[in-house]
Amino acid sequence: MRAYYTYFKLKFITGLQYRAAAWAGIATQFFFGFVYIMVFYAFYKSGSGNLPMEISKLCTYLWLNQALLSLVTQFYRDRELFNLIRSGNLCYEFARPKNLYFMWYFKLLGQRYANVVLRFLPLLLVTSFLPKPLNFTFPVSFNAFILFLIALLIGSFLVVALSVLYPIISLLTMNEKGIVNIFVVVADLLSGIVIPIPFFPSFLKNISKFLPFQYISDLSFRIYVGDIGIYNGLIGILIQIFWLILVIIIGYFLMKHNMKRVVVQGG
Amino acid sequence: MKYYFRALSLHLKSELEYRTSFIFSFLSQILVFFSYYFVIISLFLRFNNIKGFTMYEVLFCFSIIQFGFAFNEVFARGLDKFDDLIIEGGFDRILLRPKNIIIQILYNESDFVKASRLIQAIIILIISLIKLNIKWNIFKIVCIFLMLLSGILVFFSLFLLAASYCFITVQGLEVRNVFTDGGKHMAQYPIGIFSKGFVYFFTFIIPYAFVNYYPLLFVIGKSDNIYYAFSPLILFIYIIPCIIVFYLGVKRYSSVGS
Repeated sequence: MRAYYTYFKLKFITGLQYRAAAWAGIATQFFFGFVYIMVFYAFYKSGSGNLPMEISKLCTYLWLNQALLSLVTQFYRDRELFNLIRSGNLCYEFARPKNLYFMWYFKLLGQRYANVVLRFLPLLLVTSFLPKPLNFTFPVSFNAFILFLIALLIGSFLVVALSVLYPIISLLTMNEKGIVNIFVVVADLLSGIVIPIPFFPSFLKNISKFLPFQYISDLSFRIYVGDIGIYNGLIGILIQIFWLILVIIIGYFLMKHNMKRVVVQGG
Repeated sequence: MKYYFRALSLHLKSELEYRTSFIFSFLSQILVFFSYYFVIISLFLRFNNIKGFTMYEVLFCFSIIQFGFAFNEVFARGLDKFDDLIIEGGFDRILLRPKNIIIQILYNESDFVKASRLIQAIIILIISLIKLNIKWNIFKIVCIFLMLLSGILVFFSLFLLAASYCFITVQGLEVRNVFTDGGKHMAQYPIGIFSKGFVYFFTFIIPYAFVNYYPLLFVIGKSDNIYYAFSPLILFIYIIPCIIVFYLGVKRYSSVGS
């Protein structure tokens, strides 16, 4: 366990170095969040019933989404692991006496945490001073906040469990574009990052019920704004844990399987 | 220009060498693009208008801006990736050749996978134009062609400005994504739905509004002002200072060596 923790810490500390990139990221996310919110606001103002969420809740949801984007999006990918595979340096990884799956898992986790730690606070601080109802607000209750933190934590484990699958898949395909990209786009869409799940057309809402993606971020954000109550939130967290374990098991055995068949690139 | 097309066809051939990879990337780009208009369509399933604009009007607006962006990604990729050229010292090689600098930069790289976006943008444009029930006249047809052209020009100008900035900083400016990607994201919708400050900024500083807002009003009949039909022409003027700034940058360029 200690070794994995060290990998986590290593990547976390390295990730914290990229401060200039983080500022650029904050600016971009602030802008994108603002555009999203103004679009929704214009829709709400145009007054045509059937609103799944109050505007103030929605805005808080969207700001959370932007602030924590680097934690919850699938689109974030690690160049290093893919380069390893393409350059053939993968064989060094095989030589290490630790389980490769968990090594990669904790590396990715550390990177994501570093990214989000640099980004989330300035964005949430600034946006909480925006005029109502466009601002970022406090959670509905203390209990909801605690539940939000738990759900977010498990959600971040889940997203890493999913994103460690991509280098594993490309052990065989060699090219991270294509298949992996398709997976990434679909996952991001269904996890409610593009638009919140309550705004999905109903058939898609039904499909996403049976997939792990909405448990990455949508669950925790909706607990935070009170759109999902404490009781349903607890059930959601149980489902989240189920998916987490399942995805880790799939990844672990896929890794084992692919490692037997992997062809190390020359050089 | 002859060299430009030859270089493009070489790029295309080299990308097609990896056929399966190309096909899958192409498919994935279709999906990425789908996720863009998926937002618009699923919001319109819930709401019936956004400040008086209907779904097909917004999709029309969307397709113009996406067309312009995708066009630049396919045919002017080198300009988008200009910072790589400076960092790796490839720009020195370009300066030595007795050909137009900008055209050489354009064909330095290309990304034909993005053609999938171009095709989709055109399809959406056609569908929305059919569904919109427009009372056609010659001005409206001219106006749509001007919109398409100005959509290409606005991103070309912005890429030029961003590239000029690379001369000063060497590193690409990450914040420029706010104005290109972010601007593209925003200009998918009719700019009138945003707050005043935004509208002014994206009318007078970065003239997205002249690409697909004022002409949009004219085409869909929300305004009869004939000047709106020709407002995309402003982009033909906007690009001139951008080119000048770029050449000023070239003048003070000193190689980073490599």
